[in-house]
Amino acid sequence: MKRSFENQPDMNESQEDDYKRFVDRIIKNNREIFLLTILLDKQMCGYDLIKEIFLKFNVFLSMGNVYPTLYSLEEDEILRAEFSRGNMRSKNYSLTPKGREIALKNIEEFVRAIDHISAHIKR
Amino acid sequence: MKIVLKGVISGLGRLLSVEIPQGSVILVTGAEGTLKSGLVFSMISNYLAADGGHGLYVTLEQTKESHFKNMISLGLKKSDNLQIFDYRDMRREWRDCDLDMIKLTDEVIDFYRDKHNDLTFFALDSLNALYSLSEESNLRMQMYHFFSNLRERGLTSFLIMEVPPLKNPGQFQDRNRPEHFLADGTIELGVIEDKGGVKRYIQISKMRAAKHAMEKHQLMVDENGINILGPIY
Repeated sequence: MKRSFENQPDMNESQEDDYKRFVDRIIKNNREIFLLTILLDKQMCGYDLIKEIFLKFNVFLSMGNVYPTLYSLEEDEILRAEFSRGNMRSKNYSLTPKGREIALKNIEEFVRAIDHISAHIKR
Repeated sequence: MKIVLKGVISGLGRLLSVEIPQGSVILVTGAEGTLKSGLVFSMISNYLAADGGHGLYVTLEQTKESHFKNMISLGLKKSDNLQIFDYRDMRREWRDCDLDMIKLTDEVIDFYRDKHNDLTFFALDSLNALYSLSEESNLRMQMYHFFSNLRERGLTSFLIMEVPPLKNPGQFQDRNRPEHFLADGTIELGVIEDKGGVKRYIQISKMRAAKHAMEKHQLMVDENGINILGPIY
């Protein structure tokens, strides 16, 4: 399986290192946005969310950050958690109606912020 | 900065005459059923309810729900500012991987510190479970860094450790373990059987930069929570 981060235009080694460093930083500092984005499409457990982000961006989010983030979002009623039938080992998270609204709004603001920054620094 | 703990448990002032420095790492030791979890939970919860701030209680042995149920059964109340965290989901979903529980615990603490900039307390239940889930190689060095990180973050921390029951009332708990040297304080809990029956006790055997009594004091739990009475002898 080809990972999404591998679809970048040709880069030399140093450019690739810089690129990875920035992507890593952006995703780790905004992990909530990336988790919510994935959960817009399907419900997932913590393990699958970490795996999905790794496959998409080659960034390994730490469990010690992802699980408390999911618990906090559940407490704030942005996510709901349930065990899937026949599999009591994985707790699957999905967005509540309120959570979907918040997620869409936050994602839009995040993209706008990134676009705004890019427009100002792009040469 | 100091943390004034003596008012958080009825009678604690009999043992601890002044407040303790913020960032102290305190071991709470005792055999099974000596109220270690209840004492720590109660101290933190009562402090947060009275003085504000946030606390994090990490349980490695029980789930959040079963721990909370146990505390309720003892008549203890939980402050809304006390976050209880367990590793059940992580351990189930990553069952085929060796998890670095010390590193994970550090990350969980950092998460809640970012979330609550007034995170004041940390509790770990228990050190024994952390040891049994951690790689043995280099464990002493890892624990040294773990203790240092707690201090550097300014978290007043209670690390619960189960020890074997004492064979006779005059015996002391084994204090030759590394965590005893690393900790700023040690609170020992136990049970003593005498003519008056079986009594729970609490003893502060060490508390750096704080005056404290050395005697064993009786510890009781009733509908109002935990109380410390006078010296046992």
